[in-house]
Amino acid sequence: MNAGTKTVRRLASQPNRPASDSICSSCLFRLSNTPSQIRTAATAAAAAPSQTTSTPPSAPDAATNPILHPAYQVRASVVLSRPPLLTRELHPFEKAFYLYQRRLNERLALPFTRYFYYKKGTPADVEWKRKIKQRLTPARDIGVYNAYGREGWNDEVLVGDQTAEPEVQVEALIRDLEHKGEEEGEKKETESNEMAVQRPLSRVTGADKSNDERSLDRQMERSLYLLVQNAAGKWRFPEDTLQGREGLHQAAERVIVQAGGINMNTWVVGNAPIGHYQWNFEKAIENVEKSRQEQGEKVFFMKARIMAGQANLEKNTFGDKDFKWLSKEEIEKFVTRGYWSSIKNMLSER
Amino acid sequence: MALQQGLRPLRRSIWSSQSSQLGLAAQQSRGYASTDIADTIQDLESASSLRAGTPAEDTTSQYDPVGRARRRKIQLPPSRYQFRPPKYYRGPLHPHQPPPASDPASREFQPGPFSLPRLEQTYQSTFAQDLMTLAYTHFPPGYVAPTKSARLRKWEGESPYYKNRPLRGPRGADVLRLLRKPITFRNVPKLERVTVHSMISAAKDDSAHLHVAGMVMQAITGVRASAFKTKKSVAGFDVRANQYLSLTCELKGEDMHHFLSKVIDVVMPKIKDYRGVKGSTGDSSGNLAFGFTNEEVALFPEVEVNYDSYPPKMIPGCHIMIHTSATNDRDARLLLQQIGVPFYGKLVN
Repeated sequence: MNAGTKTVRRLASQPNRPASDSICSSCLFRLSNTPSQIRTAATAAAAAPSQTTSTPPSAPDAATNPILHPAYQVRASVVLSRPPLLTRELHPFEKAFYLYQRRLNERLALPFTRYFYYKKGTPADVEWKRKIKQRLTPARDIGVYNAYGREGWNDEVLVGDQTAEPEVQVEALIRDLEHKGEEEGEKKETESNEMAVQRPLSRVTGADKSNDERSLDRQMERSLYLLVQNAAGKWRFPEDTLQGREGLHQAAERVIVQAGGINMNTWVVGNAPIGHYQWNFEKAIENVEKSRQEQGEKVFFMKARIMAGQANLEKNTFGDKDFKWLSKEEIEKFVTRGYWSSIKNMLSER
Repeated sequence: MALQQGLRPLRRSIWSSQSSQLGLAAQQSRGYASTDIADTIQDLESASSLRAGTPAEDTTSQYDPVGRARRRKIQLPPSRYQFRPPKYYRGPLHPHQPPPASDPASREFQPGPFSLPRLEQTYQSTFAQDLMTLAYTHFPPGYVAPTKSARLRKWEGESPYYKNRPLRGPRGADVLRLLRKPITFRNVPKLERVTVHSMISAAKDDSAHLHVAGMVMQAITGVRASAFKTKKSVAGFDVRANQYLSLTCELKGEDMHHFLSKVIDVVMPKIKDYRGVKGSTGDSSGNLAFGFTNEEVALFPEVEVNYDSYPPKMIPGCHIMIHTSATNDRDARLLLQQIGVPFYGKLVN
């Protein structure tokens, strides 16, 4: 046990600090180290109960009904997310810009050194000659464009031209690999060595088409977050109150297993929460065990990533009814307004 | 007048929000000035050329720049249409000024970028956020950082030479180390540049090694390699001064991201019994380095596809230095581990 922990223990066990669990131990330690005792609004809340309890209560009153200190339920919640798996869709302006820059590069670069890559008279050299005749440029994905010719200045595509579209560029690359576009006479010779080129899979999956909100294959270029419907029917991130002496990180790991089952390979990022949500109960709950009166709840959000697996609510211990993997905009439709205003800034735009 | 017109919707939105918020709970009224005036800004920018949309159908169908140029009988005057910027910069007062380097007509113009690298996108969407969460240090509102003594010491003593003397360096070293500031959203460690360096000692007898190495390095990095001279003669290595024996490629931006993802996703998995990068690498200011032997350089896809063109014994090995904006090795290693570089052995910070 190092000096810091000792100090925290000592501070926490001081008799005039009964509400020590309303302020976390690391904050307590840092504040105890401050040279000047500056009090702000946040620390004043922690200091206030100590003043009220420093006056000794009358003995018979304490025996019949023990003093309940006003406090909050501290809950840990897990923002379990699946990061984007695909690159994002480019804006039309970006596509046009990249194509224009590639064509400019073709104009400014030194000519392709053909004899370094293709020895004279080899089949590869013949193939190269045939291809360059068709597309007029060594680059395979900028369309038919002759950078060195008299009309090299015509490097901008017209309205409605599809050359900048990624699908068209992929098609051009595949056509290039498959030796297509040959004249009729040559075709028979090369048909035997034609190789099957594996096409890129679609960016739109089956889960996208059926809008399966439980699937992790949906919206591959966005971050998806796990949202559960709790016993009260409200949609929230999975959460639970802190048990015993566990910290937020431990609690987050426990909540993931208790809510979504063990069939998820997850990583809780860091020990610090990324956000918090506060809710005052309509009527305070009296917790006699901990001798406190719970005014409301404070939920701390821990960030977590899912690497593999899927949530399963069969062995859920919190009585959650349903779960969904949703992107940021979709979450807004399901959660309450107060909850949304606390969580919206910690969710990723992409 | 225009300003008043612009402000009118703003005033209206403020009034409406005031009246509607009376019935709402206090926590729901968490709003920001930037979101409140969003519709106001739309009003202000309605005439922007960005919102003009596509031109009419008949205009686009009739537009044919190539045909128009071919039909032209008399050529356009070259002095006006074939502009060449001046070769030398003759000062700000000279009437003939060169265009900025971003202008395609400029002599210094370099085209690019040509794509949005996947690594960069993943960094923006995933790595940076996680890194910030991992490195977060909480300072509660009442916290005052303890004062530290000055890093440069004073000269203490009676000697008259200590008067007005520059401050003394830190103990144990003559330079100050970089300070690690708390990581916020402003200074999340990121990749700055990558230097690929190769010393070709065989080039002291035969310069062909240097030329082949230059071609290989240009192929794998996409950047022209620059050659460097030896500074001193070393008799033990048989090296004289002013011999060209080393090559360097400086990669930034798009090139750097493409090169690193190629190294991590293609080359490193192909190396047999690869242990990873040594954990003790680093210059203790956030720059990490590792090396590839000549056999490992031959695994780059650009070399592999055209392996016969390079004399096998002339393919060089190389050192790869990754410069990050982190100020210590621990943060830099955290960043590289996220990207996918494996480390082995004892991790030294």
